Amino acid sequence: MNLASYRKKSPWILHFNAGGCNGCDIEILACLGPKYDIERFGMINTGNPKQSDILLITGPVTKRTRERLVEIYAQMPEPKVVISCGACASTGGVFRGMYNCEGGVDQFIPVDVYVCGCGTRPEQIIDGVVQALGILEKKTKALEESVKLKKEAWQEDGQLNRRNIADEIKPLLA
Amino acid sequence: MNEYLIPVLLIVLAPVIGGLVYGFDRIVKARMQRRIGPPLLQPFYDFLKLADKRQMMVHSTHAFLGIMHFVSLWFALAVLLLGGDLILVIFLHLLSTSLLILAGYSTRSVFSHLGANRMAISVLAYEPVLIIIAVSIFMINGSFDTSVVFASDQPLLYKMPLAFIALLLILPIKLKKSPFDVAEAHQEITGGVEIEYSGLFFEAVYTAKWLDYIFCYTLVFLFAGSNILLGIGLVVFTFFYLAALDNSTARVNYKQMLRFSLGVAFTLAFINLLINSLI
Ligand code: SF4
Repeated sequence: MNLASYRKKSPWILHFNAGGCNGCDIEILACLGPKYDIERFGMINTGNPKQSDILLITGPVTKRTRERLVEIYAQMPEPKVVISCGACASTGGVFRGMYNCEGGVDQFIPVDVYVCGCGTRPEQIIDGVVQALGILEKKTKALEESVKLKKEAWQEDGQLNRRNIADEIKPLLA
Repeated sequence: MNEYLIPVLLIVLAPVIGGLVYGFDRIVKARMQRRIGPPLLQPFYDFLKLADKRQMMVHSTHAFLGIMHFVSLWFALAVLLLGGDLILVIFLHLLSTSLLILAGYSTRSVFSHLGANRMAISVLAYEPVLIIIAVSIFMINGSFDTSVVFASDQPLLYKMPLAFIALLLILPIKLKKSPFDVAEAHQEITGGVEIEYSGLFFEAVYTAKWLDYIFCYTLVFLFAGSNILLGIGLVVFTFFYLAALDNSTARVNYKQMLRFSLGVAFTLAFINLLINSLI
């Protein structure tokens, strides 16, 4: 029996707001409601890092949430995937360059799927999760390390650009 | 030989049946909210997925207590189905719950402590009622053995309806259903005692929840005596009652829960005991 095939049948979601405006969070909660009802795919919003498989992050990383984000990521048992929801989480979005803002999530933890949109639509989130499930199935229980640890890709504004790590995600998607 | 066949089958298959009941419960709850809901086998998918996660434990005692919670609950269920002493069953169930409470206290997580506190309070809320119901059954049958209850052709329901109502009132506390789900309170303390469990060890706690369903429905079934049709009717009624209650009520705090269960459910059970001992 191949246990890995059951991963995509019961993805448990952990939702973390790293400092966004709450717009994306409301869209994530809309996914759980009667209209989109992601529970029919077996997804639960657990709220507990130790029991979840998918980390949904919204909002840019601020100086306050930086350590907590990494801590929460470390508490999730492998295999796990990370989805950054919205423009903020992917690049920093409208908050990029602000004094309290560190930028995108991928500077601190490895991100597998980027979902675009400022205020992502629930359909996009579901699409992103479905894509993440494909990645989750291929993952192993090995530890992963942040991209930032592997290479120091500083841009002129001191922040990592997601194009720099697109090549590393491609083999996983194929 | 034959009279043991069904109980033994039920005991061996209890986690499977419990998982199906839990899956069906989730579907019914979703349909009541006009959602489609997960597939029926969803609990088993969860089970298989959790088996595949990397093993992490807080410390070995914590993991051990979680597994012992499952084992002792299964044992309590076995004693109940094989016609053992009802008081023994209740105390075995209490033992399994207290193992989980101990596990909750053994970690350093605040939520785990809060969950353990609240779980201890809910034990305080439902345990006296259960004991009174057991004593009422003793008053009627002259024995604590559930085998006598299963064999009697006069359903307990007609002799002690108040006790049945009391049982219905405490079942949400026992199964951690809203409005009495303070012990679990997913939006508030994210599961309480089970928060620190992960992977295989969470599985033990998760499956114990399914066993709890079977345990509670067997308690409901007791009220039908040897009348199997009535028993199935009662179980189905209780199932939909619990699902409807879970969907239509909001969580109360632990003080209100304690006041309600000791004020209303305990009083009902006690009046029932008085009536039974007078007749
Ligand atoms: S991407 Fe837009 S809607 Fe989402 S958190 Fe950022 S600012 Fe808010």
